[in-house]
Amino acid sequence: MTSKVKSTFIYIFLGIVTVVSVFPLLWMIIAATNKSVDVIAGKLTFGTYIAENYQNLIAQQPLWSSFLNSCKYTILVTAFALIVSSLAGYAFEIYRDKAKEKIYVVVLMSMMIPFVALMVPLFRMYSKLGLLNSAVGFMLPSLATPLLIMMFRTNAKAFPIDIIEAARIDGLSEFGIFLRMYIPSMKSIFAAAGVVTFMNAWNNYLWAKVIMSDNTTQTMPMLISNLISGYVTDYGMLMLAVLITTIPTAIVFFALQKYFVEGITGSVK
Amino acid sequence: MKGKQNATGWAFLLPAIILICAFSLYPMISALITSFQTGTGVNIKFAGLSNYIRCFKDDVFIQSLKNCAFYLIIQVPVMLIIALVLASILNNPKLKFRGFFRTAIFLPCATSLVAYAIIFRSLFATDGFINMIALKLGIINHAYNFLSNPTSAKIIIIIALIWRWTGYNMVFYLAGLQNIEYSVYEAAKIDGASAFQTFFKITVPLLKPTILMTAIMSTNGTLQLFDESMNLTKGGPGNASITMSHYIYNMSFKGVPNFGYTSAMSFIILIMVAILAFVQMKVGDERD
Amino acid sequence: MKKRIVSVLVVAAMTVGMLSGCGSSEKKSSEKDENTLTVWAWDQSFNIYAMKEAEKVYQKDHPDFKLNIVETGWDDMQTQLGTIVGAGNYDKLPDICLMQDFAYQKYVTTYPDLYQDITDCGVDWSEFAEGKLAASTVDGKHYGVPFDNGAEIACYRTDILKQAGYTIDDLTDIDWNRFIEIGKDVYDKTGYSLLSVQADSSDLIYQMLQSAGFGTWTEDGKPDLAGNENIKQCIEIYEEMKDANVLNVVNSWDEYVATFTSGKTAGVINGCWILASVQTAEDQSGKWALTDMPALPGVSSATNYSNQGGSTWAITQNCKNTELAEDFLASTFAGSTELYDTILPKSGAIATWLPASESDVYNEPQEFFGGQAIYAQIADFASKTPSVDLGVYYTEANKALATAIANVSGGSSIDSELKTAQETVEFNMNQQ
Repeated sequence: MTSKVKSTFIYIFLGIVTVVSVFPLLWMIIAATNKSVDVIAGKLTFGTYIAENYQNLIAQQPLWSSFLNSCKYTILVTAFALIVSSLAGYAFEIYRDKAKEKIYVVVLMSMMIPFVALMVPLFRMYSKLGLLNSAVGFMLPSLATPLLIMMFRTNAKAFPIDIIEAARIDGLSEFGIFLRMYIPSMKSIFAAAGVVTFMNAWNNYLWAKVIMSDNTTQTMPMLISNLISGYVTDYGMLMLAVLITTIPTAIVFFALQKYFVEGITGSVK
Repeated sequence: MKGKQNATGWAFLLPAIILICAFSLYPMISALITSFQTGTGVNIKFAGLSNYIRCFKDDVFIQSLKNCAFYLIIQVPVMLIIALVLASILNNPKLKFRGFFRTAIFLPCATSLVAYAIIFRSLFATDGFINMIALKLGIINHAYNFLSNPTSAKIIIIIALIWRWTGYNMVFYLAGLQNIEYSVYEAAKIDGASAFQTFFKITVPLLKPTILMTAIMSTNGTLQLFDESMNLTKGGPGNASITMSHYIYNMSFKGVPNFGYTSAMSFIILIMVAILAFVQMKVGDERD
Repeated sequence: MKKRIVSVLVVAAMTVGMLSGCGSSEKKSSEKDENTLTVWAWDQSFNIYAMKEAEKVYQKDHPDFKLNIVETGWDDMQTQLGTIVGAGNYDKLPDICLMQDFAYQKYVTTYPDLYQDITDCGVDWSEFAEGKLAASTVDGKHYGVPFDNGAEIACYRTDILKQAGYTIDDLTDIDWNRFIEIGKDVYDKTGYSLLSVQADSSDLIYQMLQSAGFGTWTEDGKPDLAGNENIKQCIEIYEEMKDANVLNVVNSWDEYVATFTSGKTAGVINGCWILASVQTAEDQSGKWALTDMPALPGVSSATNYSNQGGSTWAITQNCKNTELAEDFLASTFAGSTELYDTILPKSGAIATWLPASESDVYNEPQEFFGGQAIYAQIADFASKTPSVDLGVYYTEANKALATAIANVSGGSSIDSELKTAQETVEFNMNQQ
């Protein structure tokens, strides 16, 4: 009986949290179906303007090419960031020594300064290296992220050292251990890191805008920034664009969240 | 054997180190040099520490520093505790609709800033939903403009931050919890441990490295906070809710820029985050 | 040993892959052909639309001519310009860039080589309204071709006024005292405020000041905020209106627009570009009328005309084909009535190039405003607007004043807040 009461209580609690969490998204969906005037008037019922909003949006903005650009950059950044950062995080923990500890401190320090302060020197460097106008140039700064390195390092602590020793005796190479033992056992960490990186990369636009600024390289966040910078804002259209921008991150999370249940013990045998 | 492992370790680190040196360290050193220079436009000269001294004479910067400290002290602990509780609830394999709840709670941080700024502002507007409820319940007797009061504006930022980032931190905890075998919990249950006991005796200690990591990340995020200040309150009323990063941005790009001064302010943020992270790591280690 | 080599190789391959890969979308600016100009501007339905029409006009005589318009919001553009000029490498600048008038002095004074001096490009500068031209003129040199107009307009809901027993004529050529009187009456009878503003903005105060030719700077360029009786008078009017519910203060732009498109506000006073937002409320068509703004009471230099915003086309230092850019701007935005005749009806972009305002298009009745020929009226307001130097440190002064207003609304005294604002701006200016 008590456990039933307890679980009811837990479901109610989760229900409330869910409603609070999802409400703005729901509002966004409703707003995308309404006229601009109704959106800012606070209308909370579905409208019939979604087709018009969509027509206006594609008439004014290169919606799907921006969407594809966003997908392209985000997937590349996420993939490379996971590789670079997981290698580094693993190495910091498994092969730790004094020198690496010092470098780790420097890595952490590199995230502690506002990016605004780095823009001018970075731009100067880019113009010297000829990285301006290049998609590579826009992606490079996001590949080795202290957050991910920290995350992989923290979780590598739970990777049993005896397994590594045993694998070495079995003749598995160091990289083999990383590839065949660490990665499969850290699925949940890779999933979480993937979600977080995807989201950050998807929303990142300031640097891209500064060094690329070309219509052919426009991404979704740039598109939204343009939609709100006119003398008059069409809020229905804006909310539709915002909704389209939100969906991929939600899908990625939903697809990857199942890995959060697969524990370490299930994989390392 | 050791030598081989050592070399492999460095090889694994190489890409990350190259990238961080090129795209973070180099510009940071460059910004550090700039922070010892002053002037606007093309008239730049060496100024020693004067930019750093100037920071502490700047009333707006001091105000922004106090605001960030306020956000940090209240928001980070509350958010991390809620995230931890949610993660441990959602880690129970017997819970139904786990995937749904997890996704729902994660969604706020995927929700576009543009949309949620509009919603939060309209919820807390004078004729908004919160006022309507509070009036009906008799908590207040006349509608209240939350965003025009220095204290309530700051509290709205804190609420917005908790709303947006709790699910994000929960993800780290959920991932971290997978390193703990669920059988540990089962055993604790058989031993008659209560939910609170398992939470404090098993979950928290075993997640400590992850908790430490999220604490450092959130400290860093809050002291560099920009989005909410910029989009939700525009730093207002007056400068009552402005953050350091927002002020630096304004000084760099909206007004007449003095990049020496803005770099100095940025390094003050770095020093603050570094000290706090160091303290957190020390505290985290002592409890080992 | 072998394993070590393998792992090093894999890592090295990844690094190389990263540095060289995915560069397919890379485009070199050298491919740019001579007849193409790159333009940065914001607002698809306004500035960008005008630019595209200008391109068509110019293409009639120059068939090879092409524009590459990159949509860039003003906030983003400031970040981009700031980074580019801060780094001192101008290669990334477009050929032509749209500038907010209030920021001109800042960029030209701080970075003297950012924009090209186009004084001798063949534009007859006397064909532009003097007040408008002042923004892009520094030391007698012209740094841009003026485009849209920010002439101050006041427009009101005639149906609400009627309910309270007033007509648009009762609100024409009045001063703020009369405005408050009418406003109180309208509020009592209908529950509608007559005006709304965004909190944390000093724009309305600036508009009031400019209507009497007042600025926020002394003649030698020092901030003139502390003890400034004119500013004090404006803030007092602001506070009085707010307390009497004549002025509805909201927290954000979206709420501001909602106050008159769907809320309980029956009037708008702002730069004329606000009309585009007013007209989104299609159900209110025919219920609006336009007139001039209230004047400052008891001031000898007071007028009913002011300005808010407006923008100008600048040619940047990175433009390699200056002659083409100059000729393009001179023969379109400073030389084509055809262009202005096309863009006015569709976008409401009101010219500051005087010959354009003689066109018949300006006298077309506008249905939304009950058949009023509003564009001719706005062009007339623009020609009467007093000219004011906004100064290099406009953004700083504007923000300091906005903070002062917020604090006054929170209960502080005007005198002490203006003194603080003065100190803030002085602190910002003293950067050595």
